[in-house]
Amino acid sequence: MQTSVSQNKLVSGFTDKANKALGISKQDALISKSYLAVAFIALLLGGLLGLLQGLNRAGLLELPAWLNYYQVLTAHGILLVVVLSAFFTIGYFYAGLSHTLGGLLPKVRKIAWIGFWTKIVGFVLVVIPILMNEASVMYTFYPPMKAHPMFYFGLALIVVGVWFLAAGAFINVANWRKNHKGEHLPILAFFATGVFVLLVGATAFVAVEVLFMIIPWSLGWVDTINVMVARTLFWAFGHTAVNIWYLTAVSAWYVVIPKVIGGTRFNDYLTRVVVIALVIMNITGGFHHQIIDPGISLPIKFMHVFMSLAIGFPSLMTAYAMFRVFERTGRRKGAKGALGWIKKLPWGDVRFLSPFIAMAAFAPAGAGGIVQSTNQLDQVVHNTMWIVGHFHLTLGMSVVMTFFGVSYWLVPYISNRVLTPKMNKLGVIQTIIWTIGMVIMAFSMHTAGLFGAPRRTSYTTYGDFSASLGWDPYMAAVGVGATLLLVAVIIQVYAVFNMMFFAPKGTTEFPIAEVEADEAKTPYMTERWGVWVVVMLIVIAMAYVLPLTDMIVNAPPGSPPFKTW
Amino acid sequence: MMTQFIYGLLFYIFLMLPPVANLVESIMITHMHMQMPMLVVSGFLMAGIFLKRFPRFFEKWNSNGIPGITLFMIVIIYWTIPRTMDEALTYQAIEAWKFISLPFLAGFPLRDSWKKLTKAGKNLIIIIFTVKYFGMGALYIWSEDQLCNNYLVIDQLTLGWGFITTAICLVIYLVYAFTVDPTKYE
Ligand code: HEM
Ligand SMILES: [Cu+2]
Repeated sequence: MQTSVSQNKLVSGFTDKANKALGISKQDALISKSYLAVAFIALLLGGLLGLLQGLNRAGLLELPAWLNYYQVLTAHGILLVVVLSAFFTIGYFYAGLSHTLGGLLPKVRKIAWIGFWTKIVGFVLVVIPILMNEASVMYTFYPPMKAHPMFYFGLALIVVGVWFLAAGAFINVANWRKNHKGEHLPILAFFATGVFVLLVGATAFVAVEVLFMIIPWSLGWVDTINVMVARTLFWAFGHTAVNIWYLTAVSAWYVVIPKVIGGTRFNDYLTRVVVIALVIMNITGGFHHQIIDPGISLPIKFMHVFMSLAIGFPSLMTAYAMFRVFERTGRRKGAKGALGWIKKLPWGDVRFLSPFIAMAAFAPAGAGGIVQSTNQLDQVVHNTMWIVGHFHLTLGMSVVMTFFGVSYWLVPYISNRVLTPKMNKLGVIQTIIWTIGMVIMAFSMHTAGLFGAPRRTSYTTYGDFSASLGWDPYMAAVGVGATLLLVAVIIQVYAVFNMMFFAPKGTTEFPIAEVEADEAKTPYMTERWGVWVVVMLIVIAMAYVLPLTDMIVNAPPGSPPFKTW
Repeated sequence: MMTQFIYGLLFYIFLMLPPVANLVESIMITHMHMQMPMLVVSGFLMAGIFLKRFPRFFEKWNSNGIPGITLFMIVIIYWTIPRTMDEALTYQAIEAWKFISLPFLAGFPLRDSWKKLTKAGKNLIIIIFTVKYFGMGALYIWSEDQLCNNYLVIDQLTLGWGFITTAICLVIYLVYAFTVDPTKYE
């Protein structure tokens, strides 16, 4: 019996061949190239600022009077967690949509460009006040700290840009489905759909926060702001954003890595179920960032522990899936014994090595996440360097190292160039340096945090207070890690621009693994995105109505704006 | 089917555990919008095996799905009346009735009836729920008085907004169902 997935393969086999012969169209390539170029410039700048922070916290570098630590930290956060991640995600998925759906529609290309420039203008509006030290509110911009209104207008434009991109993706997907009735969306486009659904959902919250609460308040139209509501709306967005970057990395783990190692991908049905589960349950996880916030009653916090841990379930499925694929592939290549397959993996291939380390990092990162979801444990680590260590594992390793691994084939693919053995070797070196740097930095951050070192604080010895002096060796190690990391950043950015403009011409494959030949048909249910979106909305409504009603009805008087720096 | 039954049963038992029941019943909105639907879900899961064992019974009484869905609606609507929630907290017998009626008189018939309904029938049910949810939402939000002895006015207000937001989600679904033509895609 022919499964509909494999039918799907027959049809897309044709476009595949066309794509292989012609590569990606020039216009589609330019879109992805622009997004990736911005992403890696953001990495360079953000990394540079990261080094400044690391050296400052190590006690080695005093920032000059015209450069405020919080100004640096704001820029670092926004450049890396907003710009790098969002631009990479969009560049990668638009290339993926173009490849798997047989090219972008001309209309969609136009939308992608409008979105690009909207985001860039928004970004410029955000950067100007940061440079002027008028917006040192960090990437969370919690009220009652108030930045220059321009900062918030910029944020709003960035959100509008994201909506354009999501609309473009949906139009292309709908068009493909009209022309491929009854077929399953190609798996990478399926991931893209999930990601853009979540992006719209997440940014809706921050849009409400910025447009209806912060902007009127920052312009002085209203005197006070409800701080708890603003924080809650922010984290519905912030948490989901980070999970979107993670889902983007996961898409490469399921779809690309199996091909890179010469295997087939994990069960198609379960893969789609993981995507749907992550989409439905994600936004409500935002509350785990507010475990220590006052004004949320304990039963609510207790129930939200389950909501947070529920997201851990698809993550564990992912871990299982990855090792299943590795083992199966290794055995087919003739591996013997329980662990022989490990030797059959292409360790010297940066396209595998970097994402593999990314996956491995998710084990300690996930364990740390479970610690932080637990109220009593989080009391110890909340707002300490532990948290900074945690998200440099999740983002700085799991997500970003997957992106790096992807860049070694994606950039050549969109540039009609090839990855040379020399560049591959440079990539492996880059991966090793980044890994060592990040492990040193994250480990010392976790430890210093356990001993109480606060995050978001420039260097101080608290009047040579004995307990805080105990943090110093670890903070010095943070400086060492940061230095190694900047070296790796420079190599990575060099590699990307070299592969984009100077590497030898040639065709590079867009690696997408096939399903197992004898796999059962995936039920059509997975394609009913309309239903999944409604389920997601109901879950969100259930989770947020209760605390938000409480925060609004029982609100304190509200806070006027403060400039704390 | 058997595994579904076991999951449903375990879920049912879990919901009956006193700490779980106490926690969700301590808050009005989780009582109505979490515990009650989850009881229906547990019945829905358990029902499969019975539908298979006793097809003739269900065929005889519920051949077109309408009797079943009517029973489902009656049970559900009954449990959205403020007074019934109060009684469930006050009288053990009513609490037991809740734990029996929702899974077995709502979850079971829903499982048997839903697939028998036509598309129009399904949408009609959703429309009825949408209207009712807006109505209940308005009632709970704008009523000046405390409707339940066991819950505060703020609980009531929260529940009202829960109804309104759910109704909005249903409207979104209906818009989707009426504007997107699945035959274009499937
Ligand atoms: C060159 C590599 C990097 C270095 C040296 C570095 C270093 C640091 C340091 C020292 C802090 C400040 C801790 C504090 O005072 O609270 C920090 C914060 C942060 N980093 Fe990095 N980091 C790097 C890469 C990344 C990457 C790749 C990401 C995300 C994709 C990232 C995201 C963040 C975020 C979100 C913060 C928190 C900002 C805040 O508290 O407002 N960093 N980083
Ligand atoms: Cu989170």
